[in-house]
Amino acid sequence: MSALEIRNIHKRYGEVETLKGIDIALESGEFLVLLGSSGCGKSTLLNIIAGLAEPSGGDIRIGERSILGLHPKDRDIAMVFQSYALYPNMSVARNIGFGLEMRKVPAPEREKAVRETARLLQIENLLDRKPSQLSGGQRQRVAIGRALVRNPQVFLFDEPLSNLDAKLRMEMRTELKRLHQMLKTTIVYVTHDQIEAMTLATRIAVMRDGRIEQLGTPEDIYDRPATLYVAGFVGSPPMNILDAAVADDGLRLASSGESLPLPVDFRNAVTAGRRVKIGIRPEALRLANTGMPGTRVTARVEVVELTGPELVATAKLGEQRITACLPPRTRLVVGLEHAFSFDEAALHLFDPETGRTLLTA
Amino acid sequence: MPGTWITTRAWLLMLPLLVIMVAVIGWPLVDTVRLSFTDAKLVGTAGGFVGFDNYAKMLGGSNFQRALITTTWFAVVSVAAEMVLGVLAALLLNQQFRGRTALRALMILPWALPTVVNATLWRLIYNPEYGALNAALTQLGLLESYRSWLGEPGSALIALIVADCWKNFPLVALIALAALQAVPRDITAAALVDGAGPLNRFRYVIMPYLAGPLLVALVLRTIEAFKVFDIIWVMTRGGPANSTRTLSILVYQEAFSFQRAGSGASLALIVTLLVTILAVAYAALLRKAAGAS
Repeated sequence: MSALEIRNIHKRYGEVETLKGIDIALESGEFLVLLGSSGCGKSTLLNIIAGLAEPSGGDIRIGERSILGLHPKDRDIAMVFQSYALYPNMSVARNIGFGLEMRKVPAPEREKAVRETARLLQIENLLDRKPSQLSGGQRQRVAIGRALVRNPQVFLFDEPLSNLDAKLRMEMRTELKRLHQMLKTTIVYVTHDQIEAMTLATRIAVMRDGRIEQLGTPEDIYDRPATLYVAGFVGSPPMNILDAAVADDGLRLASSGESLPLPVDFRNAVTAGRRVKIGIRPEALRLANTGMPGTRVTARVEVVELTGPELVATAKLGEQRITACLPPRTRLVVGLEHAFSFDEAALHLFDPETGRTLLTA
Repeated sequence: MPGTWITTRAWLLMLPLLVIMVAVIGWPLVDTVRLSFTDAKLVGTAGGFVGFDNYAKMLGGSNFQRALITTTWFAVVSVAAEMVLGVLAALLLNQQFRGRTALRALMILPWALPTVVNATLWRLIYNPEYGALNAALTQLGLLESYRSWLGEPGSALIALIVADCWKNFPLVALIALAALQAVPRDITAAALVDGAGPLNRFRYVIMPYLAGPLLVALVLRTIEAFKVFDIIWVMTRGGPANSTRTLSILVYQEAFSFQRAGSGASLALIVTLLVTILAVAYAALLRKAAGAS
């Protein structure tokens, strides 16, 4: 039995269909991240799970029962909003305890639960304050506390970190991961931030245009992207995508005419003459030393950016550009051709028409 | 002295306005104060100085006391009803439904009507021979025979309050609607998930956003209601049997119907003082509310 099961969920607003059949089954304790750019339907799906929007078709089950048609309060869920959505006139303690208060939990029990939650989130000293007296990070902790205190079956997070500055976002991300490891709660988390998705999720659903583009573990999504969209969306800088054709002796790059070997995994999937898109992650590229074995391409370096931990080089390979993430002290000369090498296993092949991977297994 | 020229020019520029203000506000006010200490008639005698006689007579008289009670009753009931109706209307108009924009525009209509038009309209509705209210109530079987709503002391004030509410609740609704639209969607959603029912959502989540703007509406409406004159003058002229005679009507009758300019002036100043006390009290309340948020 799944903790949360989403079955063939559709959502139409008049002519527009924002969700086109979503199927996900979550085991208890899973951390699912719905990842996608704005307008992909991820927040709509979250609102449907919460009961803040009704689907046009499909079913949602928590445990053994369908929760469709149930009032949000009866769904055994808690939600953390992007804007924190704290009640401005109430103290932090009352904000956290409000859900329990509405459920008529006796005051002593409520106070105990609020205090425990506050301790967990390290906000015990803030309990008497009003939300307006808190910093962004503190407000976010209170919002999380308000969800935690009710101990529901499923937690819903709607882009909870996107209003925080970069440093705080990282801190809260680690904090969320810590909480999840400790409490083993079932979480559905919406974000457009692929780093958040990769770091937090036990599984990621990459969404696009109301559909799930790929559902898998962070490793699946990163190492075996199912589509060009996923390949381009996850990873920073994004995967290099090059046009190529299958020849008798391997792959031929469209832009430079260079030959590359056809990776073993794809040998049965393609035949000579077929056009493909090749994907290779920037971090899979190395600067090739003379005499070093392995596959290599030659490209003219255009721009070099040092980010600190790495050096991001943009180079021109015939008519196309590729990006390589290299060790920070790599010596590159802008304007000169350099050879970049990589393992052939790092190559991904996609169908240029459908955008889907040509990996058959 | 530095700035003298600037100061002189500023005074020169303000001079026309000052002259007009002194002529239309300052002088009548001063003259009213002067009049209130005389036994002047509206026409004829200029009147002699009588000290505080007028004030003593007015404050001690049963007319004033009865008018004060009538006015307070009118103000409290009509403003309370307007606040409740206004907030309910705003809550309704804040929902998503087809025709909402049209309904919002329609709602403002009574408020946009001139008071005299509104009063005439309601006088027709209350008409004892062919009024719509009588027709509706008898046809529904709620009333045996036609009544003179404005002609009976027991019902005239209530009938006036209804007419006044109908005209003025849209203002409250408008202010409340603007405040409701400022309530963040996420917060109401959070309250839904937290399990707050409609009443608790209103009380704990919406009311804090509504309180400040509603207080402004309350201040405006109370002061207006306390000064009420035109709607009553058109509909009942303070009758029947003085049952709808408010303070402003009393002032008018004293000064113009009975032509006792002196005592009329003293009464007018008493009413002004009462309204000023109300206004100052409300201003303090508003400042406190602003400080609290």
